[in-house]
Amino acid sequence: MRPWMVLAAIAALGMLWLGRAEPEPRADIRFVSAEVFTLDPQRMSWQQDLRVARALYEPLLVRDAVTGLPKAGLAQSWSCSDDGRTWTFALRAQARWSDGSPVTAHDVRYAWMRALLPDLATDFAGIQLRIEGAEDFLRWRAEALAAHAASPGDAQALWSRTREAFDRLVAVRSPDEHTLVVTLVQPVPYWLDLMTFPTTSPVQERQAERFRRIDPATGTVRWETAWTKPGALVTNGPYQLESWRYKRGMRMVASPTWWNHAAMRNQSLELVPIADPGTAVLAFGTGSVDWLCDVAVDWRSDMAAQRRAWDARVAPEAQRLQADGLEGDDLVAALPEPGPGERRDLVVIPAFGTEFWQFNCRPTLPDGSANPFANAGVRRAFARCVDRAAIVDRVTRLGEPTTTTLVPRGAIPGYDSPAGVGMDHERARAELAEAGWIDRNGDGVPEDARGVPFPSVTLLYSVSVDRYKLIALALRDMWRATLGVDVQLVGKDTKFFKDDLKQGKFMIARGNWYGDYADPLTFLELLETGNGNNDRGYSNPAYDALLREAASTRDAAQRLTILSRAEALLMDHDVPVLPLCQLSAVYMVDPASLAGVSHQPMLEDEFWRMHRRTASEREALSVLGREVAR
Amino acid sequence: MSVGSMILRRSLQLPLVLGAVFLVTFSLMWLVPGNPMESEGRRPPPEIAALFERSYAMEDPVTFGVQYLDRASGVAWITGRHERPFDLGPSLRHADWTVNEIIAAGLPVSMALGALAMVFALAIGLGAGIVAGLRPGSLGDAVGQGVSVIGISLPGFVVGSVLSAVFCAGLQWFPVATWDGWSSAILPALALSLPFAAAIARLVRYGMLEEMRSDHVRTAMAKGRSRTGAAVHHAMKNALLPVLSYLGPATAAAMTGSFVVEKVFAVPGIGRHFVEGVLGKDVTLVMGIVLCYSSLLVVLNLAVDLLYRVVDPRIEAG
Repeated sequence: MRPWMVLAAIAALGMLWLGRAEPEPRADIRFVSAEVFTLDPQRMSWQQDLRVARALYEPLLVRDAVTGLPKAGLAQSWSCSDDGRTWTFALRAQARWSDGSPVTAHDVRYAWMRALLPDLATDFAGIQLRIEGAEDFLRWRAEALAAHAASPGDAQALWSRTREAFDRLVAVRSPDEHTLVVTLVQPVPYWLDLMTFPTTSPVQERQAERFRRIDPATGTVRWETAWTKPGALVTNGPYQLESWRYKRGMRMVASPTWWNHAAMRNQSLELVPIADPGTAVLAFGTGSVDWLCDVAVDWRSDMAAQRRAWDARVAPEAQRLQADGLEGDDLVAALPEPGPGERRDLVVIPAFGTEFWQFNCRPTLPDGSANPFANAGVRRAFARCVDRAAIVDRVTRLGEPTTTTLVPRGAIPGYDSPAGVGMDHERARAELAEAGWIDRNGDGVPEDARGVPFPSVTLLYSVSVDRYKLIALALRDMWRATLGVDVQLVGKDTKFFKDDLKQGKFMIARGNWYGDYADPLTFLELLETGNGNNDRGYSNPAYDALLREAASTRDAAQRLTILSRAEALLMDHDVPVLPLCQLSAVYMVDPASLAGVSHQPMLEDEFWRMHRRTASEREALSVLGREVAR
Repeated sequence: MSVGSMILRRSLQLPLVLGAVFLVTFSLMWLVPGNPMESEGRRPPPEIAALFERSYAMEDPVTFGVQYLDRASGVAWITGRHERPFDLGPSLRHADWTVNEIIAAGLPVSMALGALAMVFALAIGLGAGIVAGLRPGSLGDAVGQGVSVIGISLPGFVVGSVLSAVFCAGLQWFPVATWDGWSSAILPALALSLPFAAAIARLVRYGMLEEMRSDHVRTAMAKGRSRTGAAVHHAMKNALLPVLSYLGPATAAAMTGSFVVEKVFAVPGIGRHFVEGVLGKDVTLVMGIVLCYSSLLVVLNLAVDLLYRVVDPRIEAG
């Protein structure tokens, strides 16, 4: 027997194996997104997981994809007590699980108990921790687990006691099947906003209990991986899970049991996890996918420039069509087709997040030397050197909105953003001099009173994408030119970068933050003393006091005023972070082909509203566009 | 040494090899900083991170390593302390999947892709090598040599990107970034096969040149065999021996080391899972795949040594 015959046989078997899979019919909407980590709503923390959760699950409230405001979801109506602490939600009587059984308040309670289990180590337990007794329950369970681990007893009994402890301690009650009453530790003005967060989605107790396992040694519970797979997973959202193959694709089909099923504009979704950015763009170009949730190719800034070129050319027509009442995707679809060097299938959406660089604010650096950036004056001087417009125009080339504040400006109604520290080279030099750094020997480098030159400044960034290095280079030049300081770049692999951040081993480092709920606090708590994500080591008792004062203020407007004062202290004076621009999502989607993708900054989509336009629909829109233009 | 004792000896070596591989990989993975549950920018509270470590028994490396080996090797199953044999544990980052599930889904894909690539590599490499070896210095030889230099030196992502831009996006002969049916496997297999094809072509060319000059081939031709006949019936068998010993590691490499090609063509293979696991510090996933890779390599090497004896009975396996 010859060796290649063996190989040919292997290959033939391989081909048979490959050929056995029958290609499925194309889903109504195919979108490219990173692979989902988990479909257990309580354990989710990544953007791609939360996105899919909005298709499969329905929390008490949902965020409207057009207005960006919370609206009725699983709950049909709600009310709040006068002291602002007790919320009563009335669940829809017609709400059904994908297996046809009714969704009850017990399922919500069960899910929220899961969120509070220390066993699951959920990222967003902070939402439920605002409920009265939740903290006690979490502590009780953690202590009980520790005791069990020390001297293992009956693990089953421990679980029963845990269920009882939740019922006893946590102020989430269900007086009847369709009523949920929640009492909070203190009033949370953005509670309804939190109720749209996918990790608060209900879980069908009956089905989940089948997959729950208890480890007899540690007493911890875990859910078998089979629970979140097609055939086993029961969901209450617009779609149900049809298939999910690891890093190969996930299909969801319209759930006939969803209360609003009749309004759905499409019948199936497919998540296509293409990891290579170039391949994803190629797949979009051939029409095999309808929407890229993230365009990460190097040349995306050129694509964005092509979009701006088209926007500029069709601006007059767009105005006339707008006056005629067209808006959103319909407006874009009715406009003249892009010509050579133009495109309309790429969109840069300013998101609810801020990209910044951050100063290490600790008194000393890790090597024990004095940290010049412990002085707020030095930080302000550095901040005043930065030409943000040049960075978004010539470095990132995406034209993101620049910002001098941490909380995205104008994103929260009723909240006044402070001015922040803008570019002013004269004042930059003056503030550095006030801080004691003056060029005393005429060599161009500032020295302190003892004649010691300003230490070499290191800029720490992750090398995962080119963007950060390019921005760091631009910052280096700006600081060298204006202040005469020496600046060095330190690029590290993401894991090492994060580790350095965590340990405070940096002088200036890149950073960003996405807000989780529509309130300034989602950003401002980052700078609170002792916050787990306060990498800067920034600590100002006056700032902490303002946050505490806001927390105990009942009047919503007054509370926002206090938070605004807190941010003014940060951004006008202390500048522990140097905001650059609003984070942006870059989508590839052609509104003439696929309508209904959300453009609001929280990037929360209602998949059931999306639809692929038929040829006649596209034709009708372009005819309308031509008529109005004439 | 008989075939039986050779197989027995290699089988006994396998646990030793796997143990050494495990020790090195595990130490390296443990020393890398970071936390698999960390997402971009956001960090779990310390008490939650501690619970996560406890829930996966990751508080100290020795306990974790011993427990892992106990379950992965099947010892715990044999002694009745665990319900499944060869349990590689849950993926630390992809909480909804076990490492066994991920390997079970990805390995057949990578193996099919690798096998197809080796068939392409053999077809292209043997053809080019034999032509070049029979007519050294001819135009065909020059072209073959030139192409093989390109095949060796061009990285997979360049070949892959060019192929998919031309044949998927341009001519639309093949689907982009899907893995359904055989048509989606051809381009990635081709891209993967080129470096191997080039190496095989060079081995065959050299072997043919040597053999055509050897005494037994000249004798055959002197007895009236045509040049082609002598090449096919007398020279080729010996000329192919070096190819055979190259095939073992090459097949293993094609089946496991196709990360770049898998990424460019969005093939859900194990190579991609491995690299992404390393980047995300998914300790259990990386350990599982490394153990699986090493076993595959040992088995393929054994297979080649057995084949060697079939082709050349003079060889005593050692």
